[in-house]
Amino acid sequence: MGAVVSPPPPALALHGLTKRYDGGLLALDGFDLEIPDGAFFGLLGPNGAGKTTLISAVCNLIRVTGGDLRVFGLPHDSLEARRLVGLAEQDVNLDRFLDVRETLVYHGGYYGMTRRRAQARANEMMDVFDLRGKAGVRAPQLSGGMRRRLLLARALMHEPRLVILDEPTAGVDIELRTELWTYIRRLHEGGTTILLTTHYLEEAEALCEEIALIRDGRLLARDSADGLRAAYDAETLQDVYLRAMAG
Amino acid sequence: MTRLEARHPGDELAGARSSAPGLVERRRGLLALASRETHRVLKLWTQTILAPVISSLLFIVVFGLSLGERIKDIDGVPYDQFIVPGLIAMAMAQAAYSNNASSTFQARFDRYIHDVLAAPMRAWEVNLGLSVGGAVRALAIGIALGAVAVPVTGVPVREPFALAAAVIALLVAFCALGVVVGIYAESFDHHMAVNNVAILPLAFLGGVFYSVDLLPSPWEEISQLNPVFYLVQAVRYGFLGTADVSYALALGVTAGCGVVFVAWSAWLFATGRRLKP
Repeated sequence: MGAVVSPPPPALALHGLTKRYDGGLLALDGFDLEIPDGAFFGLLGPNGAGKTTLISAVCNLIRVTGGDLRVFGLPHDSLEARRLVGLAEQDVNLDRFLDVRETLVYHGGYYGMTRRRAQARANEMMDVFDLRGKAGVRAPQLSGGMRRRLLLARALMHEPRLVILDEPTAGVDIELRTELWTYIRRLHEGGTTILLTTHYLEEAEALCEEIALIRDGRLLARDSADGLRAAYDAETLQDVYLRAMAG
Repeated sequence: MTRLEARHPGDELAGARSSAPGLVERRRGLLALASRETHRVLKLWTQTILAPVISSLLFIVVFGLSLGERIKDIDGVPYDQFIVPGLIAMAMAQAAYSNNASSTFQARFDRYIHDVLAAPMRAWEVNLGLSVGGAVRALAIGIALGAVAVPVTGVPVREPFALAAAVIALLVAFCALGVVVGIYAESFDHHMAVNNVAILPLAFLGGVFYSVDLLPSPWEEISQLNPVFYLVQAVRYGFLGTADVSYALALGVTAGCGVVFVAWSAWLFATGRRLKP
């Protein structure tokens, strides 16, 4: 008899995820979501829908009220699971005392990379994101676009299998947005699972294989852009979004 | 953008599981964080080390060398030598506290602490890593002050092991206190206030410049309710071999404060309270 081959665990599995903040706000209420390994998944919803809370829960940045969170089958708060996740947050959160190279190398260290390996990887990331010329520049002296590039480079330093991008193109110019799209697509083609939140519907449609709509901490729908249009009998994703959020 | 790196750490993870990693390998995150905190101290060395060394040396010059000749010996110790241990203890305690309070608060305020909280590090590693900067800064200040004050004033180091134990207790207590305050602070004013309203007055009233034996009752007894008094006495015993209270009591109270503050900071990191909403 041949061995039974179990399917690979999903990149992200959330079951009954609930988060109530100390002030009483219920940001997520029994939220269920599975994202397959290798998917390019978009999360759409208005401000306050619970997108950033969901991401923060996965990355151990908030105290979860209830539910089960697994990353590639591992408890989300285990050290092994944390190694597999890379996060580029919506807000620029860079250490003002570190320059570009130091930011990347220290991040690599936090994730267990040797100094030599982290330096080599930092060089690669600086080349990829055109940051080499700014290697010795501290974060406060970088332009907004450069800071956004650095956030992405930092998230990818430790070569995560699941990359979470929280509005990565918010406030960047068209040229950089196009460059970032290209890079994110190539990253996904290489096998990396991407979870993307964005307010740009055309960005979600252009990049994501599957899109989830959330509002008030609840999942309203998930499907491909075509599937959502069919389900909501809408011509555009914008129409889908407006109907879903109005409902 | 020129190249794409799409390697995954899965294989490395599998490899890591197959052979037990060494101590350094398992603690790379802690080492990186400790290195970053140390780097911050050294990068800003004129503010973090030079400035407090100069201000403490001014105290030694003004109170010790200039006014010291007009003040009689205390317990047989020349006044310029008497004040050196307390000034060093005060400078080290303030440095350990303020470094960790400001570094931790800054990391929270700018949210780059998320980079550490999301990383594969245990709570105690993050706590310890954030504490190291204060210890390095305090030690650098203490060594610099000692290097100048010992030859200038002739203050002896009669009990080096007792001094080392007192310094360790000082570092543990004030590094942990700094991290705790950095976690609770809502603004820069808050952690400055703890220094200006609590630590500095308690240090001045803790016998840095005088022996509490000289105080009339009830001030002598009241002084002994001040925990910083015991810290000053423990360090003074290490230098001079004499203090206002027994060394064991002085060290015990200082270490006790350290245990309380370390337990407090460990609880904050273990539960995520104040660090994670």
